[in-house]
Formats: sequence, structure tokens, C-alpha cells
Amino acid sequence: MKLFALVICPIAVTLGACSSKPDTTDSASKHTFKVALLTPGPISDKSWNGGAYQGLMAIHDTLGAEVSHIQTKTPAEFDENFRQYGAKGFNLVFGHGFEFQDAAVRVARAYPNTVYVTTSGTSVGKNLAGVDFSFEEASYIAGLVAGRMTKSNVIGLIGGTELPPVKSSFEAFEKGAQTVNPKVKFLVSYIGNWDDASAGKEQAIAQISRGADVIMQNADAAGLGVFQAIKETKGVWIIGSNSNQNTIFPSQTLGSIVINLPRAFLLIAREVQKGNFIGHVFSLGLPEGVVEYTANPTVTSNIPVSVAATADSIQRQMSAGTFKGNVLPDSARKQPAR
Amino acid sequence: MADITLLADALVRSTPLILAGLAVALAFRGGVFNLGAEGQLMMGAAASAAISIKLAPLMGPSVIVVSLGGGAVAGALWAGIAAELKRRFHVLEIISTIMLNFIAIHLVSFLVRGPMQEPTRIYPQTESLADSARLPIIIPGTRLHAGLILAVLLAVCLHWIFKHTAAGFRVRALGAGPNAARSAGQIDIAVLSWRVFVMSGAIAGLAGAIEVSGVTFALYENISPGYGYTAIAVALIAGLNPLGVIASGVFFGVLETAALALQRDFGIPSSIASMVEALLILVTLALAGLRGYLAFLAPRERTA
Repeated sequence: MKLFALVICPIAVTLGACSSKPDTTDSASKHTFKVALLTPGPISDKSWNGGAYQGLMAIHDTLGAEVSHIQTKTPAEFDENFRQYGAKGFNLVFGHGFEFQDAAVRVARAYPNTVYVTTSGTSVGKNLAGVDFSFEEASYIAGLVAGRMTKSNVIGLIGGTELPPVKSSFEAFEKGAQTVNPKVKFLVSYIGNWDDASAGKEQAIAQISRGADVIMQNADAAGLGVFQAIKETKGVWIIGSNSNQNTIFPSQTLGSIVINLPRAFLLIAREVQKGNFIGHVFSLGLPEGVVEYTANPTVTSNIPVSVAATADSIQRQMSAGTFKGNVLPDSARKQPAR
Repeated sequence: MADITLLADALVRSTPLILAGLAVALAFRGGVFNLGAEGQLMMGAAASAAISIKLAPLMGPSVIVVSLGGGAVAGALWAGIAAELKRRFHVLEIISTIMLNFIAIHLVSFLVRGPMQEPTRIYPQTESLADSARLPIIIPGTRLHAGLILAVLLAVCLHWIFKHTAAGFRVRALGAGPNAARSAGQIDIAVLSWRVFVMSGAIAGLAGAIEVSGVTFALYENISPGYGYTAIAVALIAGLNPLGVIASGVFFGVLETAALALQRDFGIPSSIASMVEALLILVTLALAGLRGYLAFLAPRERTA
């Protein structure tokens, strides 16, 4: 009987807590612009999720929006949270990853006054949009730098899981490296998830022991493990991705492939706030200033001037739209970003 | 409006917990330490998704029955591997079921990137289920689906079987003392524990099938946030009582849904729910341990 009381009390308390809430929020904030963000992982990853959270904060600071963030784990939770934000009258809800797409399609129909944006994917509707981050150009430039910096001619690539945008980013990176160094070989491994830092570290150590002296990683929180492995090994360079990861371990970081998520989020939020949102796929890459390769200023003196100059000039050509080369091998077709 | 959807979401989340909790409760009652509900659930989800996608165009609404049945069979087969290993080679099921969980998770991960991947071959998931293969919604405007009714019915059935049938009594006897069950009760314990094991797997498989047909409408690799593991807590807190599993399943569902609501509305980290869950399990185990300790002390005092 005691056990029964133990179970029932918290139920009553939690239900009571939930049901008393809406009155206060609804009446106080009828007219404020409300924006929510669902991330698939922890915002402490200094990468994909952390960048999105910065985007949400930028919307809060710049547009004065009321914001809310939640970390979600399963497809069932995507649905649940999309619905709850719709029911609470949020104006704009971001699902941060391709995996949110199906849930967004379902829920957008039920809450026509809320705009759902999945940072990925291709599904669009009256109040539904996708975002396509073009990683390939910036990855190509990172490849140009890595190809010149490797002494062993072995470059490691570590991804979280084998998602199409990660794959095509790796392909562009390899193309870039091969352009400047035809002898270079690549070791590609996928950790199998995006949050196991110790597995990320293991993969990095394995690649280093096979001769890799430059490692490019795109593995969110698991990628922090790659940084740990680099810290323990002198003479190995790392390239970060998604957020500016140049400050995690500056002395051995060449640079980062940075998505300027705040810029992308603001761009979309402004359209929604002004009321001229149109459901389509926002294609955002180097030309839009949303994705770029950012060299690490701390190690400028260790990088040959010609290497930095080449990377710079190609990046400028790309953003001006005058770059004529192809950043992907002929075999790979362009696919939507994560 | 927000309230009813919130309550519905809590019940949606409770459904797999109740079902997997029943699977664990049945196994533990029969003295089988099936820690593999997670893997059995994944296999049930995979089989159910495959059946729904392949057969929905041919069968119409009756496909749902076949797909749920298929999920249960897949769960039973997956548990059957561990059950056979136990019967033939005396492999401890505590180890084999946990190992099989990892295999199931990676198998699903392979399936959604290989043979079962959606037609555009971009995303690691299957195509979406046809409307006819989806469980009906019982409160319009919410996500609450008929799976909850199935879960509650199954709990009531199991309770009745345990209480009122010879088979139920045999299972309880097996769990309470296998040697006594064999010598005094003339029970073939190897066969009975094999059956309990497989039945438990079937229920866990059904949980996965219902999750696919009622909630996600496609197979994804991270379809379960660890329902099969939380189910062990659900079953233990319920004292392995099937009706209690309904209460503790709903409790965990409400707890996790409320935790998400707290993070959405107040920015309180939802991981607090996991801490509360872990504390509850510790308290329950401590209480059970304390009760056993007191019972152990009492007669000694008398004889002394």
C-alpha cells in the first residue's frame, strides 16, 4: 500500500503542475513572437546542436522572441514536442535534423498557424519548410588545406553515422585533398552514433596508429573524443565541423567547417515574423555566407603562406560565384543536407 | 486543449512501457531473467514495419492484425534464441539477452540503411506506413491510439491467468522455487521456463509492433529510447503484478512527459526524470531488501 502511495503521489503532482501552466503563459504572451527548437542531441556538443541553440538565442536577442528549447531522442518524441509547441501557439518551430521531417509533415497539418522548419530535407508545405546546408564547398576547401599539410599522406575522416550529407561532405573533402596531393590516402570511419565521445576517441587513435596525421571529424559530441585523442598525440592535425571548433584545442587545429547557424536561423525567423514566409527549401551554403571554412588564427605561423592563400582565394571565388571547378567527384550526386 | 494533448502524450509514452513491463513481469515471475525486452521490441518493430509495408496494398485494414501478430512472433523468435541457448547449453539468459539486444539494435540499423530503406535511399528509415496499416486514434486531435487498450487488456488477461488458472500457478511456482516445482509439483521446469521466455519475448515484440503501427509509422534506428530497460523498472516497481504494471507504466510515462514539458516551459533539464527514475528503482530495491532482512532476523530472535 505504501508503494501504491509512492507511485500515485508524484503522478498527481506532475499532472497538477502541467495543467496549471497554460493559463499563465497564454494570457501573458498572446502577441509575442514565439520560437522553439528541437535538437536531436545535447547543446553542449559545441557543434551541430550547440550552434542551433546559438541560433535560437540570436532570435531571442535580435528579434525579441520568446524562445524554448528541448532535446529529443526518438521519433515519438519529435511528434510529441512538435504538437505541444503547436498547441501552445508557437509561431515557428525548428526541428534540427533530417530525422524530424516525417513528424513535421504530420504535425504541420494539425497546427496550421505554426511554421515548422526542419534544418534538412525536402518536405515543404504552406507552413512547412526545409533547409539545405551545402557543406560541400567548404569541405572541399578544408580538403585543399589538409592535402597540403599531411606529411604521411594519410588523412583520416571520422563521421557520426553514415548520413548522406556527411558522406558527400567527405567526398568533397577528399576531392579537395586529391587536387593538391594525388598521393594522399584516406581512412574513413563512422562511429555509429553522435554522442559517444570515448568511441570517437578510439576511432581517432586507431586512425593515428595507421599513419593518419590529419583528421577531419564530423561527429558532434562524439567528435569531442577525437579532439581528446589529438591532444594526446603530437604532430597530428584536426579539422572541426559544424561550429567553430578552433578554440577547443587551438595548437593542433587547422580550422573548422563552420555552419553559421545563427545567421541561417535569423534569416528564416525574420521571414516568419514579417509574415512573408513561403514554404520552400532554403538552400544555404558558402554563397549565402552560411557555411564556410574558417582557418584557425592561432596556428597561422605553422601553415605555409601559399596554402592559406589558395584556400582563401578559392573560398572567395566560391562566395562570389566565380569558381568553375566541381567540388564533388563525378560519381557522387548532390544530396540534401542533414 | 494543451492539457488533453499532454495527457494523451503521456499515455502514448506509457503504452510501450506497460507492454514491455508485462513482458518483464511475466518472465521474472517465472524465474526467467529476460533482460532482452529492448531487443525483442526492436525485432517486433522491424517485423511489423516490414509486414505493413509489403502487405498493406494487398490486404486492406486487416493488415494491422497480421502486422501486430508478426511483431509478436518476431519478438518470440528473438527471445527463443536465448531460450534455446539456456535449455541446451545452460547459457545464462542475463548475458545472452543483453548481447542479443545489441545485435537487434545493429540489425535494425542495418535494415534501415539496406534492404528496408525508403525508396529515395537517402534517409536511414523505412517508407511511411499506409493509413490502413495504422492503429486507430481513440481521442481525435491527439496521438492516443488503440494500442493502449490492447496493453490494458493484456495486463488484465495476464493478471487473470496468474490468479485463476493452473498454468498461471505453475509459472508462479516455477519462479518461487524451481526445485520444489519439479519435485512436489511434477512440473517440467525446462519446458515451462522455455515457454515463459518465448511468451515474454512475444509481448515485448508486440510492444515494438504497436509503437510502429501507432506512433512512428515507420521503422527508425532509434525507435526506442530504452523502453526495454525502463520496463525492468516498471515491472519491479509494480511488484511483478500485471495490474500494477499498468499503474507504474503510466507513472513512468507521465514522469517523462512532464519532464519534457518542464524543459519546454521552464528550461528545467529533462534529464531530471532519469534521475528520479533511478532513485525510485533504488528505493524500491532497498525497501524489498529491507523487508527480506527483517524477515530473516525475526525467527532468529525467537529461537535465541
